[in-house]
Amino acid sequence: MPILKNIAAIAKGMSITFMEMFQPTTVENYPDGPGPLRGAKFQERYRGVHVLQRDENGLEKCVACFLCAANCPANCIYIEAAENTAENRISGAERYAKVYNIDYNRCIFCGYCVEACPTDAITHGHGFEIATFNATNLIYRKEQLLAARPAHLGANPVFNSAEVAGGAPAEVAPGE
Amino acid sequence: MADAPKLVNITVDGKPVAAPAGTLLIEACKTVGIEVPSFCYYPNLSLQGACRMCLVRVEKMPKLQTACTTGITEGMVVVTDSDEIRQARKSMVEMLLGNHPLDCPVCDAGGECELQDMTFSYGAAESKFIELKQHRDEQQWSPVVYFDRPRCILCYRCVRVCGEGMDVWALGVDNRGAVSTIVPNKQDHLECEECGMCIDICPVGALTSGAYRYKTRPWEMKHVGTTCTHCADGCKTTLGVRRSDTGMEIVRGDNRDKSGINGDFLCIKGRYAFDFANNEDRLTQPLIRKGGRLVPATWEEAFEFVGRRFKEVLDREGGRAIGVIGSTRTTNEENYLLQKFARVALGTNNIDHHRTADFPAFAAALHGKSGATASMRDVYNASAILLIGNDPTEEHPLLAWQIRNNVRLHNARLYVVNSRPIKLRRQAASFTQVTSETDFTEFLGGDESLASFATREGWNAVRDKLRAEQGLVIIFGSEIFGEDIQALARFAASVPGAKLLCLGDYANSRGAADMGLYPDLLPGYFPVSGAGKFHQEWKITPAAPGMNIGQMFEATKTGQLKALYVIGANPVGRLNVNPSTLKNTFVVVQDMFLTETAALADVVLPAANAYEKAGTFTNTCGDIQILKKAGEVTTAKPDFEMIVRIADAIGFDVRKLVPFGHGVHADMGQSRGAQSGEADQHAVWLEANGLEPKMSPFDPVATLDEIQRLVPGYDVSRTELLAGNDQHTSIAAMGPGTVQNPELIVPAKNNLFSSGTLGRYSRTLNSVIENKDPEPADAVPTD
Ligand code: SF4
Ligand code: SF4
Ligand code: SF4
Ligand code: SF4
Ligand code: SF4
Ligand code: FES
Repeated sequence: MPILKNIAAIAKGMSITFMEMFQPTTVENYPDGPGPLRGAKFQERYRGVHVLQRDENGLEKCVACFLCAANCPANCIYIEAAENTAENRISGAERYAKVYNIDYNRCIFCGYCVEACPTDAITHGHGFEIATFNATNLIYRKEQLLAARPAHLGANPVFNSAEVAGGAPAEVAPGE
Repeated sequence: MADAPKLVNITVDGKPVAAPAGTLLIEACKTVGIEVPSFCYYPNLSLQGACRMCLVRVEKMPKLQTACTTGITEGMVVVTDSDEIRQARKSMVEMLLGNHPLDCPVCDAGGECELQDMTFSYGAAESKFIELKQHRDEQQWSPVVYFDRPRCILCYRCVRVCGEGMDVWALGVDNRGAVSTIVPNKQDHLECEECGMCIDICPVGALTSGAYRYKTRPWEMKHVGTTCTHCADGCKTTLGVRRSDTGMEIVRGDNRDKSGINGDFLCIKGRYAFDFANNEDRLTQPLIRKGGRLVPATWEEAFEFVGRRFKEVLDREGGRAIGVIGSTRTTNEENYLLQKFARVALGTNNIDHHRTADFPAFAAALHGKSGATASMRDVYNASAILLIGNDPTEEHPLLAWQIRNNVRLHNARLYVVNSRPIKLRRQAASFTQVTSETDFTEFLGGDESLASFATREGWNAVRDKLRAEQGLVIIFGSEIFGEDIQALARFAASVPGAKLLCLGDYANSRGAADMGLYPDLLPGYFPVSGAGKFHQEWKITPAAPGMNIGQMFEATKTGQLKALYVIGANPVGRLNVNPSTLKNTFVVVQDMFLTETAALADVVLPAANAYEKAGTFTNTCGDIQILKKAGEVTTAKPDFEMIVRIADAIGFDVRKLVPFGHGVHADMGQSRGAQSGEADQHAVWLEANGLEPKMSPFDPVATLDEIQRLVPGYDVSRTELLAGNDQHTSIAAMGPGTVQNPELIVPAKNNLFSSGTLGRYSRTLNSVIENKDPEPADAVPTD
């Protein structure tokens, strides 16, 4: 009896639908959720706006080797290197990045830069709210990408990239 | 020439190879495209056999052999790649990495490092050593040479190139075996020629350059091969450029592909003294004198003002009241355009430049004698060389390199005649010290009845030996001029196959002379009176010779000269002109910096330098080479463009100066270096849309066409030129020249670390000079 068979199949399908209907919802309540992420949740591996890491002494990990720029398929990383001196020590090695820009007009969040980095300096963070009305705001400077200095070393004012992109004054003190 | 050497037949990896007897196995392999890896082997340096990377299996020999020290023998059967060999090489790399810091991310050699390449090929990435690596701090040996000891793989290339190639012997080896270390000649620093050859030849990042340190990485730059703008030898130097906020910044100079006449060589100036271009004192906008002070103006304002003032003088007194002084560092095209501008647009022959050698007399002496001039390559291959005057080690570093290495590798005989004990006497088979200028004349004249011949022992012997030479190259400096060049040419004619080489001092001194920056000579040393084909082409050419540089400054005093147009020259600084004499003269200067002359000018126009434009240079031997645009500074214009703009502002039809527009074709930018791709795409687009590529009036290529058409001897292959090869122009085919005014020849007297105005603004050269010992130990060890 093909008709009976078909009805049984539909009933089986609909039973799942009705069962799920009474389960609690798992949709993320972004942007109206609680906390700084306003309800957004991420997988650990999510590739968002980059973060340039610091080492345990608070020095920048990036040594301006240009490997991330060489590896970048979108060609969106721009670096200018300079030499560390005794008075002006920025990174742990001989050289540091005086300028480090990522152009988010072009970045495709592929993670190749992260893979190329020999010092684990460049990483993907979870920042994602980077939409803006002005394309030039999408070129992020080193100051916007840099991780905050660890608190025990005297946390430095950092740039909140999302807010700068939205037109906030460039320097925002931590916690604000 | 001896008979062709006997060929020896061997088999490499199954391929038959025939090479002359005595060839090294590593070189024989190269002839069939088999590259045997090597660190310590370097062509034309003595053999070291230190690194054992070049191990190969030779049949019937018990152990693996080093291909770099094994000569080929008949019937040899060689295997260059097998598991056994790969394993041996891998172990070698592993050993080298034993104490190697592997800090490639911050190492300047990263990306261009032979050790990196070998590690990739042989994969010794995992080390069996667990011992802590021994660290040594990096040492600065001189303003340009840095040494990072743990990175050194002890190949001794640097020691050999400095000693054998440069004859400086500033580097040595301390200790033995694994604890050997490379040391500089003054314990903790170097006292040397700062040529950077050791840095260039170092296969790893042990020796790095102060000029390029930590600036960028090789793959981040565009590399543009162009011609050095310092001395007159014409080395090919490769400039690494990067975009900057003012255009294209030059960040590195080096000898990247070693394809120029200079082979492996570059001196400090070609390698590091590009930095004048980035000097912050560079003029960034046109200046016009208002109320006694030079104030910034726009380009339009400046050109309009110059045009108006030139026109006023022209209308009132004609071209003879205007003087033009050209440069020894602008391109052939610019020099040609400048003299054409003076003769055709201004109607004057008042044009001159800073003369550093008597090229007109050289042209006169060799008129019609084809094949009598030597090229830079001839100096390296000649079987004998006579060097009269000059000190090439200081003034012509490439020439000195060619001579030294010709003597070392080809056993050439060098005869030196000089009033000073120059360093090259160390290579000389005979050194004749003369005491005065007249001595030169008498030595050349060879009138054996003269008293000096009786008193000077050995003069005749030297002359007899010279006469017996086959393929002699005679090189002479500014000590020899006028009639003496004739005497020398007569002497050369008595030696079969002898060739001559006349030494000027600046990068395009020869080009300025060839292009007719003379009051009495047109391009190609034709007298102004018999303008001939130039007249046909240009329609107007004043027939009377104009004023030379000295006369021009005299004429400014008397008020005869109302306007002076100076391009890339500093006559005030050099001739000690009293500033007040220029009070009533309208002076226009095109230069990069506010030189003594520019400071007195009424209008100063910021100019681009030779690294920032396209064109050609002719070196002192007459070898013509291309310049490609490498750097770019948006605030300066090339002299070519400025000359055209001024001609236009005077109201002259610029089409008569430079052909452009419909129907004129050109290379559309192959010579424009880093930007060439864009120009080519543009041409392709035009073609695809059925449009004709049209030339801009500022493109020098049409002027090169005209030079090649009108100046005999310059009709060299355009393909070779665009390919970046040097070609010898023949002065014999040119006009008859003249013999006069030797007092106008003022040698530049540049040494290794100075380079006229450019040198003053080069930070590297200045820091090297400051670092020199105030009282250096005699640079020439007593032999
Ligand atoms: S972020 Fe990493 S890969 Fe990029 S330049 Fe810095 S150290 Fe090199
Ligand atoms: S010398 Fe070569 S292998 Fe050694 S750190 Fe420098 S780039 Fe790396
Ligand atoms: S810079 Fe030149 S002269 Fe000085 S040590 Fe190196 S190779 Fe020798
Ligand atoms: S410094 Fe460089 S060239 Fe000299 S021995 Fe060491 S690795 Fe070789
Ligand atoms: S020898 Fe002369 S042309 Fe060659 S690099 Fe030195 S200054 Fe330049
Ligand atoms: S290249 Fe043969 S031993 Fe070094």
